[in-house]
Amino acid sequence: MKSSRRWSRVMKLTVSLSTLAFVAGCAKDAPQDTWQPAGPNAEKIDNLQRPIFYIAGIVGVIVFAAVAWVVFRYRDRGQALPEQSHGKPALEITLTVIPVLILIGVAVPTVGTIFDLAKTSDTEMTINVTGQQWWWEYDYPAVGDNKSEFGIESPIVTSGQLVIPEGTKVLLRVTSRDVIHSYWIPKLNGKKDGVPGRVHLLRIEGSKPGIYAGQCTEFCGLSHAYMRMEAVVLSKADYAAWVANQLEPYSSPSADNALAVEGEKLFLQQCSRCHQVNGLLNSDGTPNIAAPDQYLVSGAAPNLTNLMTRNTFAGAAWDLLTPECRDDVWNASSEEFGAKYLAGVSEECLNQKDLREWLRNAPEKKPMYADPTKLAETGGKYRGMPALGLTEDQINALVAYLLERK
Amino acid sequence: MITTGSKLLYGLGTATSLAAIVWFIANDGGVLGVVSLSFLAVALFFLGAIASYVRDGHVLSTETAAHASSNAAQRSVGRSWFPFGTAFAVGMVAVGMVSSPGIFKVGICLLFAMLGEWLIKNWSDRASADANYNEKVRAWVVHPLEIPVGGALLLAVIVLSFSRIMLSLSKESGPFVFAIAGALVLFFGTMVSLRRGASRRVVGVAAGVVLVALSGTGIAFAIDGERHELTVAAEEDHFAHRPCGEEAEEADEDAGRAVSAKSSVAATVILRDGRLFAEMDGWAGELDAITLQRSNPSTILFINEDDHEHRMVITYGKTTEDLGGGVTRDTVLESCTSLIGQGGTQAVSVVIPKPSFASEEPYSITVPGVEGASIEIQVP
Repeated sequence: MKSSRRWSRVMKLTVSLSTLAFVAGCAKDAPQDTWQPAGPNAEKIDNLQRPIFYIAGIVGVIVFAAVAWVVFRYRDRGQALPEQSHGKPALEITLTVIPVLILIGVAVPTVGTIFDLAKTSDTEMTINVTGQQWWWEYDYPAVGDNKSEFGIESPIVTSGQLVIPEGTKVLLRVTSRDVIHSYWIPKLNGKKDGVPGRVHLLRIEGSKPGIYAGQCTEFCGLSHAYMRMEAVVLSKADYAAWVANQLEPYSSPSADNALAVEGEKLFLQQCSRCHQVNGLLNSDGTPNIAAPDQYLVSGAAPNLTNLMTRNTFAGAAWDLLTPECRDDVWNASSEEFGAKYLAGVSEECLNQKDLREWLRNAPEKKPMYADPTKLAETGGKYRGMPALGLTEDQINALVAYLLERK
Repeated sequence: MITTGSKLLYGLGTATSLAAIVWFIANDGGVLGVVSLSFLAVALFFLGAIASYVRDGHVLSTETAAHASSNAAQRSVGRSWFPFGTAFAVGMVAVGMVSSPGIFKVGICLLFAMLGEWLIKNWSDRASADANYNEKVRAWVVHPLEIPVGGALLLAVIVLSFSRIMLSLSKESGPFVFAIAGALVLFFGTMVSLRRGASRRVVGVAAGVVLVALSGTGIAFAIDGERHELTVAAEEDHFAHRPCGEEAEEADEDAGRAVSAKSSVAATVILRDGRLFAEMDGWAGELDAITLQRSNPSTILFINEDDHEHRMVITYGKTTEDLGGGVTRDTVLESCTSLIGQGGTQAVSVVIPKPSFASEEPYSITVPGVEGASIEIQVP
């Protein structure tokens, strides 16, 4: 009786957990779902993985069913041991040939897909992607077609969000400045490791405007889980507008906005040692050039020239938009998406809470090796943004200044 | 019971312990030698304990009365070359003291080896009246040391000889010699392993002849000197000064540290018919501008297809050093290849910490002596 009740409990638990796992796999709006491709490269992977998944599933079911039947049918009931024999050549050859044929069937399209995904000769645009603990930098060089076809007259540097034109074959040159990272936007293509000293090529293409989420997929240290990225696909007209905006010359805050003027001064004192804002001038009129190589292990910090044209900050770990505004952009139709994205972050839509918490004490929000008393191992260099000890007034001023970085 | 064999090991262990103390005092607390000698002493005491426990591996060795009356216990009358070897080692020590630390160190090692061997030979000669047995006793004690040390010395001779040969050969012929030598070793190794009936004597003589030939060739090449490029590089002291000037023939000061098989080529720069252009993955055709990621090691390969020797120079801004008193000193940041001939290639690895817009002068790749040969480097 007891045994029967225990068996019943085990069965219920097993069924519940299996159902839960099954249902969890049905998430409709999962932003990093590999089964919802949004570009030709991801579609090639999808076209490969679906039939293989079905074949593997059928084989798996057959094997599980056969094992279960054998276990049940020939369970120990006290019967005598059957005659022990060795060798059944016909059966063994059959059981070897069938998997070989299946694997050959899988290998042929797999190799073809691998070669397709490695193709670079049809590249229309090239972007450098550089990983470091724990964020991604994107730079758009003013070279070749980037310049002649897409109007990138001088290099553009951004972070967190990669912006690409719709229906364009983009080649990413992926590398790293410190440890091994891995770049992956599941809806656009597979993964590619960013390895220090090496440049790996990854082609992506977005079929329709929208934002596609990704995640570093190579464990890279303390805040690996906070190292995220997003690819933004814009129509070609919207992309041209985005490029033009990125290349706009710097303008200081107007005198009317005293808080932002104060914020610019504070930025020069506190932030510009690591963060570059193109066009920002020192008090003596010389261009301000950040020197992150002197303060950071990776030698780089995010360029904040057009921070508020992005929707994320701190390695895309947090949104610059409030949840409502974020949903408005993310759920916009393809036709409306470009305009909403290009509007950038307004004061009403700014996610003040997370941005202020970050400015107040960045290492508390995102774990980083940024304790000034524990930098002996790295020769005094940080692996992330340290706590700057800013007052609330200073944070107000910085937020006002950053809001103008569009 | 303290057996005859263990007495030797305990004695050596005690002497080593004393040597450690002397070393400590003489070297003003030098730790490395003390640790090494202490470990040796512990090892010797341990071996002594093992010898005591197994009674020298032979029950008869404990019968001291029988030993004392045996012929072997009498003074050895055979000829010995150990006095000559020891005298030679002492001579090396003396010469080394006034001439070269290297000779001194080798002399010390040789002296210890001679004394050790002499001591053990003397002891084993008294083990019994049977010379063959005595030789076995000696082998039990010293072979665990002699064979590995001898093997290491043999290996050192082979490596040293082969490296002298490779350093002397030209870069073109070196790979061929290396491949042929490897193939010959593989071939003869395979033959010997397949022909199980091969005489050990024949194989030994053949190996000996090869060793003599190899070491002789190594000595000859060492006397001849290293190949031209290495000699010039050493004369120019290219590890000590900036190598991109007109006066320097060789360069590549960072090559050993930065360029490796793990690095990939960020761009290939080609000089052809007086034109300089670049090729990069992701861009089709010939480029007059390239992009490198900031604060990231980038390897650039230079191929000279021109019929003259040329070098590639990468210039990426300057640093300004404040010397005080309002005086500053600018240093141009540049890296370059050596002068390389037609068809030659060489890689340079650079890490550029600042964006190109931070510099008044654009970052560039040039080839001195070729008018208009310049490629822009964009570092965003």
